[in-house]
Amino acid sequence: MNLFAPIRSWWRAIAHRSRADEDVAAELQFHIDAHTEHLIASGLSPAEAARRAKIEFGRVDVQKEKYRAAIGLRPFHEIGGDLRYGLRSLWRNPSVSLAAILSLALGIGATSAMFNVIYSTLLHPFPYADADRIVNPSLIDEKQPLVPTWFALEPAQYESFIKAQSIDSVLGFLVQGQQETGQQFPEDVSVAFVTPNMNDFLGVPAMLGRGMRLSDGKQDVIVLGYKYWQRRFGGDRAVIGHTLNLDNTVFTIIGVMPPRFTFTETVGNVDAYIPWNAKRAPALLPWIKLRRGVTPEAADADFQPYLNRFKQESPMHFPKEFHVDVQPIAAPYMHRTGRTLALLFVSVVFLLLIGCANCSVLLLARGEARQHELSIRSAIGAGRFRLIRQLLIESFAIAFAGAALGTLLAYWLARLPLKLMPGVFPQEATITMNWPVLGFSIALALLTGVLFGLAPALRFSRPDVSHMMQTRSRTISASGGRSLNLLIGAQIALTFILMGVAAAAITGFMRITSMNLGYDPHHVGFLGIPLKQAPTKNREATASYIARLRDTIAAVPGVLSVGVASSGIPPSQPFGGFGTPASFELLGHTADSAQQALVQLVSPEYFATLKIPLLSGRLWTRDENRQGDFVAVVNQTFVQRYLADRNPVGQQLRTDAVKDDGRPSSMASPNSTDWRQILGVVADHRNNGLERPVAPAIYVPYTTFMWNATQLFIRTAAPPETMLQPLRRAIHVFNPEQRIGGNHIGTLEDSLSVQTIWIQQHTFSVLFSFFGALALFLSLFGIASTIFFATARRQNELGIRMALGARRGHIMWTVSRSTLLTISVGILAGLLANLYLRGLLQKWMPGNNHSPWLLLPVVAVLILGSAVSCLLPAVRAAHADPMATLRSE
Amino acid sequence: MGDKIDLLQGTLEILILKSVSLGALHGYGILLRIQQISQGRLQIPQGSFYIALYRMEHKGLVKGEWGESENNRRAKFYTLTAAGRKQLKKETEKWAEMTDVVGSILSATGEA
Repeated sequence: MNLFAPIRSWWRAIAHRSRADEDVAAELQFHIDAHTEHLIASGLSPAEAARRAKIEFGRVDVQKEKYRAAIGLRPFHEIGGDLRYGLRSLWRNPSVSLAAILSLALGIGATSAMFNVIYSTLLHPFPYADADRIVNPSLIDEKQPLVPTWFALEPAQYESFIKAQSIDSVLGFLVQGQQETGQQFPEDVSVAFVTPNMNDFLGVPAMLGRGMRLSDGKQDVIVLGYKYWQRRFGGDRAVIGHTLNLDNTVFTIIGVMPPRFTFTETVGNVDAYIPWNAKRAPALLPWIKLRRGVTPEAADADFQPYLNRFKQESPMHFPKEFHVDVQPIAAPYMHRTGRTLALLFVSVVFLLLIGCANCSVLLLARGEARQHELSIRSAIGAGRFRLIRQLLIESFAIAFAGAALGTLLAYWLARLPLKLMPGVFPQEATITMNWPVLGFSIALALLTGVLFGLAPALRFSRPDVSHMMQTRSRTISASGGRSLNLLIGAQIALTFILMGVAAAAITGFMRITSMNLGYDPHHVGFLGIPLKQAPTKNREATASYIARLRDTIAAVPGVLSVGVASSGIPPSQPFGGFGTPASFELLGHTADSAQQALVQLVSPEYFATLKIPLLSGRLWTRDENRQGDFVAVVNQTFVQRYLADRNPVGQQLRTDAVKDDGRPSSMASPNSTDWRQILGVVADHRNNGLERPVAPAIYVPYTTFMWNATQLFIRTAAPPETMLQPLRRAIHVFNPEQRIGGNHIGTLEDSLSVQTIWIQQHTFSVLFSFFGALALFLSLFGIASTIFFATARRQNELGIRMALGARRGHIMWTVSRSTLLTISVGILAGLLANLYLRGLLQKWMPGNNHSPWLLLPVVAVLILGSAVSCLLPAVRAAHADPMATLRSE
Repeated sequence: MGDKIDLLQGTLEILILKSVSLGALHGYGILLRIQQISQGRLQIPQGSFYIALYRMEHKGLVKGEWGESENNRRAKFYTLTAAGRKQLKKETEKWAEMTDVVGSILSATGEA
């Protein structure tokens, strides 16, 4: 048999349908005509012959259908008919169809978008080769076990370390600010000195020119980062071969890296890459690519002896007691955002469930309302299969449209979290669609469509025609009502949970934005000041340089006050170093437990600049500030925690946090660890992040411990951003070589809004409000359409009741009674679930308000909303003219 | 008309194949030819005749082409395809074997 013949004939029948139909008609007509002529020839009258021929042949259009059946296309044409009919019937109730489609689309869109965000930012954020095997050189200081620190290696140590068993390869790097001169102002360029295997190790080729080669080790060559190339060279493609003058060395530009390559902001934003050699940087941080199959734990055990040995050689690079704890490079991000995203994912799954439930409610309600139509079709001979197919096609059409719209939505929604939470994801993460998840959501949508489209189909397609035709005027059949009520109840309960969480998130965010910070962030900017590393370590000179720079800035018109602070930007502290609480001693006071406080290196003007009031005693003078030793100021929490029983002013304390650690850039005052007198007490301000209580703090003059960078906090009359040019000009006049960190001015208000907890709460409150509102809208629409369909079906009954004298209130009660009961049960279930979940949420969303009273407004909104959505169609039913409804039958 | 034989299940196809194998014919012509050869002894329902014909065209056993009929009207003429010829041969052999077997069974006499 010819294999292609059927395909050809199908193609002809489908693609040239009208031609094929005409051909069949023409052929059959020819047959009848020929037969007629034949009969005339055999002696019949023409009229009689034509009649006989037609009778013998049967109806021509029936033959056409038989033709399609013969070549196996009948189901195809029937489904086409079902589809057209289905679409028409969906079109007849456009709001219901649209709501069903939207419910599915929103659920699918939100779920796959959220999973994509999780996948692209947490599970697979880096465009590096074997990114899952690259680990950070992290270790845990036994004294500060909460935050891991990184270890650096000296060149000889590096050489011996990379031979370790579990290591595949290592990329050594060190990030340093360098200065480019020749511009209007000296520009700060963040340079990574990298071992020349960078491009091989990360598996990312240069976008322009070439990447680094092993032979580049001793050469003065530089590879530019994409953003820096755009900013500094305007994206000029002819830049390869040109030179760049950094810290008085001329580098030849050999390549530009692609946009997605930013060397991860874990180590700060890097502008350019220079081959490392011992002259350029004294030590290296190793990024370690583990051998295939080596777990981080095995690597820890392998590395520990190496690091123990290195610690003997260079004690200042390592904490006193530690253990190695290498972490995958994605781990810090996982730590920061994992829970947020997990919670959001759970909530979008809720949304998907609500969407599916809503779609089911609508399909079921619609199916109930169509009983009559189906029974008529069944009565005039439609088979059960035919009816099921019809209903299935309709629900498929809804499911399919919902899935398609959901896919589009997913594209858009997936970008939302990145917009809402800038800075908490790896910069290199790009959101791409995740096909398996999208597939899953679509499959779920189609399944919903089929399942809940099929439920009424199976029930209504039972051949009990007479019964079904009579049920026209009866109430909703028991089984349909039960599953409808169940779905509505579940929907309300889920919506309640989402709204409860939304309420908690919103109040939590409001608490953060209205939080008493203890300082005034408005119009306070800060500049990072990189300092030249003086080989002579002249502490006095550096201290005086900073003081003179401060005075210069203070004299700029528009500047109200300037303070120096080397340690951290409120409201939180940097990781490591002065960011972590340090231990201290109080004279004449033996501690029964560990005493710890944040040690802050500031100038006396710092307090006025941030408007932190002095509560008692005094601040140190400029002379005391120059000297650095013997003085300190503490905050209120410090007094409450450690000096509650006596007058704090005049007490003596000392701390090793400001001890000279021997690092090349460190400079400590001669008596930095000696006893210091507490001169005064300042009010508390948020110094340990927004989500944690104020930590006890000790303020000491910044001159007591300095290194190659400090910061200036500047209160200005105008927004600080507008002051950048005058400030830079003033600094330029003061010292043409002095650059500022990142070439920009930061503001304390911006620092607040990049706080993890701020971002988290902001995201939570925006997204959960969005989800909650969506869920509410979907549920209420589902409720309204259920009652609408129910009243439509019972129009006749209601008409009779009204004709017999039933009052409107009674009618409204009759139609909405069972739904109202369901809603109440749903609200009750939601309330219980919310109370039950409270403990769990408290753990996962620590910044939130979890007071049960918060649920009151939620309950009120839900009850009000459901009442309105019940009443609107009910009122409509009650206001119908009974005579008109009765006559319409 | 009582002496007309109802068509055996599945034999219509082989009859059509045979008639078309003798030369291109339109649908009515095929019907006429079968009746002619059988001398009017076969009763072929006209509805199922066309269904069979279309199914055979769909399967590629016959090929229809539009042409002019004997009285200058547009008509669709069917010819045998290669596949149809093979099918005819196969079916004819099968038929012969069948009639042979059935015939020998029916002509059997009681042998003690």
